[in-house]
Amino acid sequence: MNTKSYFLKETDFDSFVEEMMKAAVVYAPVAKKHWFVFAPISSPKEVRLDYDVTILPPKKAIYPVRQDLVSFGPGGAATAIQPEPRILFGVHFYDIKAIDMLDLLFRENNEDWNYLAQRENTTIVGSNIQKVSKRAFWATVGKGVKPQGHDAFITKLPKGYVFEVFTPKGEKLLACGKFKPATQAQIDEAKKVNEEILDKCPEKLSHGSHEIAAKVRAAFKSKLWEELSRTCFSCGTCNIVCPTCYCFDVQDNWNLDQVSGQRARAWDGCLLEDFAQVSLGAGASENFREARSQRYRHRLMRKATYLNDKLGGPACVGCGRCSAQCVPDIADPVRIIESIMES
Amino acid sequence: MSTSTRSTQTTYPNIFLPRPAEIVRTRQDTALEKHFTLKMKDGQPMLFEPGQMLEVSVFGFGEIPIGFASSPTRTQTFDIVVRKVGRVSGALTALEQGQTLYVRGPLGHGFPMDKLRGQNILIVAGGIGLCPTRSLILYILDRRSEFKKFTLFFGVKTPQEQLFLEDLALWRKSADVEYYETVDRADEKWKGNVGVITTLFKKVAVDPNTRVIVCGPPVMYKFVIAELDSIGVSRNNIYVDLERRMKCGIGKCGHCQINDKYVCLDGPVFCFKDIENLEEAFR
Repeated sequence: MNTKSYFLKETDFDSFVEEMMKAAVVYAPVAKKHWFVFAPISSPKEVRLDYDVTILPPKKAIYPVRQDLVSFGPGGAATAIQPEPRILFGVHFYDIKAIDMLDLLFRENNEDWNYLAQRENTTIVGSNIQKVSKRAFWATVGKGVKPQGHDAFITKLPKGYVFEVFTPKGEKLLACGKFKPATQAQIDEAKKVNEEILDKCPEKLSHGSHEIAAKVRAAFKSKLWEELSRTCFSCGTCNIVCPTCYCFDVQDNWNLDQVSGQRARAWDGCLLEDFAQVSLGAGASENFREARSQRYRHRLMRKATYLNDKLGGPACVGCGRCSAQCVPDIADPVRIIESIMES
Repeated sequence: MSTSTRSTQTTYPNIFLPRPAEIVRTRQDTALEKHFTLKMKDGQPMLFEPGQMLEVSVFGFGEIPIGFASSPTRTQTFDIVVRKVGRVSGALTALEQGQTLYVRGPLGHGFPMDKLRGQNILIVAGGIGLCPTRSLILYILDRRSEFKKFTLFFGVKTPQEQLFLEDLALWRKSADVEYYETVDRADEKWKGNVGVITTLFKKVAVDPNTRVIVCGPPVMYKFVIAELDSIGVSRNNIYVDLERRMKCGIGKCGHCQINDKYVCLDGPVFCFKDIENLEEAFR
């Protein structure tokens, strides 16, 4: 399908969002104190397309923090896959790239419909970055990986929005708003807005993906990992806020009746101490990544090297969430990579 | 968008949905290990390759990965052995004949049978490493003419930790397998070899042209590999059966990663040559 571009007046924005809300649950960026989060909205007034970055990535609308996989009871087990129509609205391009990576990872080898079903039932509308977060480096990471997999993209102009449609799912949204075909001048202006923002990233990688991947991989036995991770709490925040992290734990939970319950998965993180630990019995255990430097290294290897062949670039999109939310401030991929490149 | 329904009618396959299996027989092999013989409740045979594994679960407690301990040449039932070490294995080992547990699988890559057929075979099994390798041992014994010389090393810490006592009694007498066993620490009844598993290499001349399978506790591998190197066995001909923490068994949850490999997907059986340079593979 060729891209079609439309224009929506500023004054028609709220009614567009209202109509979308009648068709599906709309997840959009909303303010939470002085931060922003993706959340199901109950009014168009809540939508904040001027957000810089959200605390958690929008993947949670497709791959929730906690998700039932199977329900069980005396009669046996049943699938818990129950997707609902959702519109994920206002996703920045870096998060679009991350969702596209998750699409591939949950589909490859063994299709996991616990993810894919909600993905299929989700329409993704991207939006331009109006404000840049303090630790962003999306302009210089994985430049070869293009944002794709979204259905439409909305760009804010002074008097309204350019709305680009890429898929039939995106085209369906046209019925929700008073769209007019965009003029060439509006299309050009939107293009300019999205290009110019790329120069505003506060953090920058000074090397390309291939070069970084090779040098980081070769630095596996470097002393830097120990030095850089010295103040790590092993709290796993860098994993939890990451848009490309997708590791999970699986646990069974009983209902109050004590005969039925759910088998559920929940986001997990390779920085957590017991992530690779197995029990040997009698209180003994074997931890395959016992030192925090090993766990710290593993995250960066996953982000900068291990998945590159599959994804066409690093499994990092430069959102800067890990950098901003790490308490001792040691998770910033730019600083880690630059240290390795200089070593 | 005109639809106002909030659910879809599509039925999606769910790779996490396990199937019920009936416990046909149990045997408490050691103080910690319980041996189960299982049969799928839907009557379908379990089709698997030696070395593959299953996710085994008790609802309300959870799911754990366990290797097949029987050979696919015996199709009516299949075996697993569970060591009681935690919550799930504790719930599993409390089950008895006639009760139901749940399984997902077969999962992963097992032993490369096409590369083992027609060859000399040595299996080096330490402790409960004998459980997954038993799938191959029984396979070879059931199709003995397809293999050349077959040697089996089995080592445990103490005589009380020996598993599959009926099998061991057969193998000691069998002309189909050259069986050698050892214990790290003997008791007064033990008459056999005492010492770690590598001491068995002094008992028999291993032909350098042998396909070797190694499965045991993490600490065992580097010592066995060193012995094989000194004999001159090609690292291309050594296969290791590895264990890691595992949740999903389908290459998603991330727990079993060894560098960029997934034990549940790329393994649990690896050609040693393919992973010898992975820093996280061996200690």
